[in-house]
Amino acid sequence: MAYRVLIVDDSPAMRALVRRVIRLSGVDVADCFEAGNGREALAVLADQWVDVILTDINMPEMDGEQFLERLQSEELLRSIPTVVISTDGTRHRVERLRELGACGYITKPFLPENLREMLERHLGVPHD
Amino acid sequence: MTESFLERVLRESLVDVLEKMFFVSILDEPSDNATPPVADEIAVRLSFEGKPSGSLTVQLGRSVARSIAADFLGAEAGELSDSQVAEVMCELANMICGSVLSRVEGAVTFRLGAPAIVATGPPPAGAVVYSVPLGPAAITVAMITETPICPPAAESAS
Repeated sequence: MAYRVLIVDDSPAMRALVRRVIRLSGVDVADCFEAGNGREALAVLADQWVDVILTDINMPEMDGEQFLERLQSEELLRSIPTVVISTDGTRHRVERLRELGACGYITKPFLPENLREMLERHLGVPHD
Repeated sequence: MTESFLERVLRESLVDVLEKMFFVSILDEPSDNATPPVADEIAVRLSFEGKPSGSLTVQLGRSVARSIAADFLGAEAGELSDSQVAEVMCELANMICGSVLSRVEGAVTFRLGAPAIVATGPPPAGAVVYSVPLGPAAITVAMITETPICPPAAESAS
């Protein structure tokens, strides 16, 4: 099964790195959509279904917390697994994002296998 | 000379970020005299708000910046534009700063500002500085805070 992923980060460099790690992970990803903030991500989701969302927190216009709140307020979008990738690894922030509906949290810096494992878990990728 | 708590956190964060995200191992020995001419360097600074607030500056050689940006993006160094190198250096500073604050602040939140390229120069007066050889030059991380950063209570008691 080929999956569809949405990467939300205001840093083009970080989006490129995440895209590269996904490509090298071996997870069968058919489409990798990108957005620079929560507002752009909602625009993508208005037209495209994705299997998992990877989002930063600290972004202009609509940050990660506001984005998660919007996802939770819409029944269809609420079901999409959303993983936060952030430099902020403080316990308070992690707990707050989980309360807002994030199903996973990766703190930067991370190893490529951390992202692969998170994708496999939330996409339900079968192991050989 | 004994390494302060914040110097140790700067060192650990820099090593962690470079190894995990840039696939670069550094000789973990501070550099006092390897600083190249300022014209050959690039510097990025970002501010942060929290307890305490302050700023963090990362400065390194331009050729090394291009090389590690290429490693980060999986591209050839010669293929990258100056703006792509700058974007990656901003992300480098962002990750180092987040890593430092996550280690020193425990349960308290912080907010990072947008990183930006700034003029190179010596670290700000009063900054805590960690510098280590990287390629033909050095990478220097300097953090300045409104109030001193102290070790967590559990650590200072041990």
